[in-house]
Amino acid sequence: MNDLVATAEKPADVTVSAKPRGDWAHRLLVLLPGIALLAFWQWSSGRLIKEIYISKPTAIAQRLFELFASGEIYPHLWTTGQELVMGYGIGVAAGILGGYALGRSPRLARIFEPYVMAFYGVPKIALAPLFIIWFGIGVGSKVALASIMVFFLVFYNVYAGVRGVDREVVNLALVMGANQRQLTYHVYLPAAAPYVILGMRMAVPYAVIGVIVGEFTSSIQGLGLFIHEASSTYDPAGVFAGIVILLAFVVGANAVTGRLERRLLRWRKPSGQGPSDI
Amino acid sequence: MSDAVLAFEGIGQDFPAPGSQAPIRVLDGLSFEVASGKFVAVIGPSGCGKSTLLQMAAGLLKPTRGTVRHRGRLIDAVNREVGFVPQQAQLFPWKTLSENVELPLLLRGIAVAERRQRVAEALASVGLSGFEDYYPSQLSGGMQKRGSIARTLIYRPDVILMDEPFGALDAQTRMVMQHDLQTLAQDAGATILFVTHDITEAVVLADSVVIMGQRPSHLLATIPIDLARPRDVFEPFRNPGYEAAYDAVWSVFRSQINIRHRAPAMEATP
Repeated sequence: MNDLVATAEKPADVTVSAKPRGDWAHRLLVLLPGIALLAFWQWSSGRLIKEIYISKPTAIAQRLFELFASGEIYPHLWTTGQELVMGYGIGVAAGILGGYALGRSPRLARIFEPYVMAFYGVPKIALAPLFIIWFGIGVGSKVALASIMVFFLVFYNVYAGVRGVDREVVNLALVMGANQRQLTYHVYLPAAAPYVILGMRMAVPYAVIGVIVGEFTSSIQGLGLFIHEASSTYDPAGVFAGIVILLAFVVGANAVTGRLERRLLRWRKPSGQGPSDI
Repeated sequence: MSDAVLAFEGIGQDFPAPGSQAPIRVLDGLSFEVASGKFVAVIGPSGCGKSTLLQMAAGLLKPTRGTVRHRGRLIDAVNREVGFVPQQAQLFPWKTLSENVELPLLLRGIAVAERRQRVAEALASVGLSGFEDYYPSQLSGGMQKRGSIARTLIYRPDVILMDEPFGALDAQTRMVMQHDLQTLAQDAGATILFVTHDITEAVVLADSVVIMGQRPSHLLATIPIDLARPRDVFEPFRNPGYEAAYDAVWSVFRSQINIRHRAPAMEATP
């Protein structure tokens, strides 16, 4: 409506030019320390340290190939995979619901926050034997352990995120005509989304720890059991093979949540502000 | 009395003080009215409760004493018939510009086709056509402010409450925005209650200026500004009669600044 403005106000520069060459160089740079470490490991095994202690990368690769070729690992993978997905899913869902409820209601928060804090302080690993008694040595106990570890992380992130929503933004939405449901959908959830996703990303390794600790304690099947048996039979290649599989899982899950983050938080992209990555 | 859109009657407001001290009395017996189609500016020293008045009109805060009425109806819950333009633009960062502007219509259950059309109109009226799919973080401060105003105008609220809306803008953008607001308000015949601490802004925009005093504040004066419209906001001194109007406001306001100089007041903003 005014020429002065049209020229004076230009949108912020949003197009970040992609540089494929720089990208490749960066990737190489990231891979370099890993390759160096593997090479050193390979070289030192049998020279500096006995192979029976640390195995060596080629032996681990060989073992991994055998495990998949013979199909020996698949039942373990299936069990652990189920436990991880269920434990993570339940933990995240409960964490979001609990964090949201307490974040929205100061009254609920006053009553329940001290309890959540107290239980947060309990070392979850100490609960593992108890969970085996309660939920059996099957999938149930591992799901319980993983979900409780995931829950607290997600809970606290969501709780902080919802409580941190700017009161003025909420008031604005109310004046614009929002009811409680609309307030949740249009204001609280999107405002808390960065925190929800941060919690979800941080929780992935904790789900793995919960499941593996559970399987170490007592189980019939699973990667944790596989690693445990390998280590008790002096089979370092087997231990490392199991760890590599877990590693691959964590990296894969991280990529998935990272994708989710870019998708849901694309509005935050240009400035890149928000809760810091931990 | 009868054509008053908003009526503040004997408003008093206390805010709890830190610790066990007696509550701070911010507003003390304040009464004034905003007539339909009028642009009323409220000025007063910092911390005197100007913004508090707007919150009361929006039904976000209950006055400790007195009542606020909107067309005769006592405001005792969130008042959805007003529009609120805050100090910061406060567009929702997770929505694009057009989604932001569309939101009030969406919340009020207006059909898609009408929403689209009204969003396009509202964005055009503030000069933001072509920026529909930008996120607020990709827009300049002035553009965000325009978006914020479009988001308010789009549902044609009965009264528009503006809380120092141009305070955070640079001087040039500010003048342009004042000019545009004057045009928009005139075209829409809007009733506006406008809080500011800038006397020039108040005089050049308003039909009447309400002057509040030091905390605990009461009404010092209501001064009608009878300058012809449209007014020149870029060179306010060129408006015939501007100097006299400014003097009328300043002569009342000056006393407040002198008092402040002699006895520094507490700087607790509610």
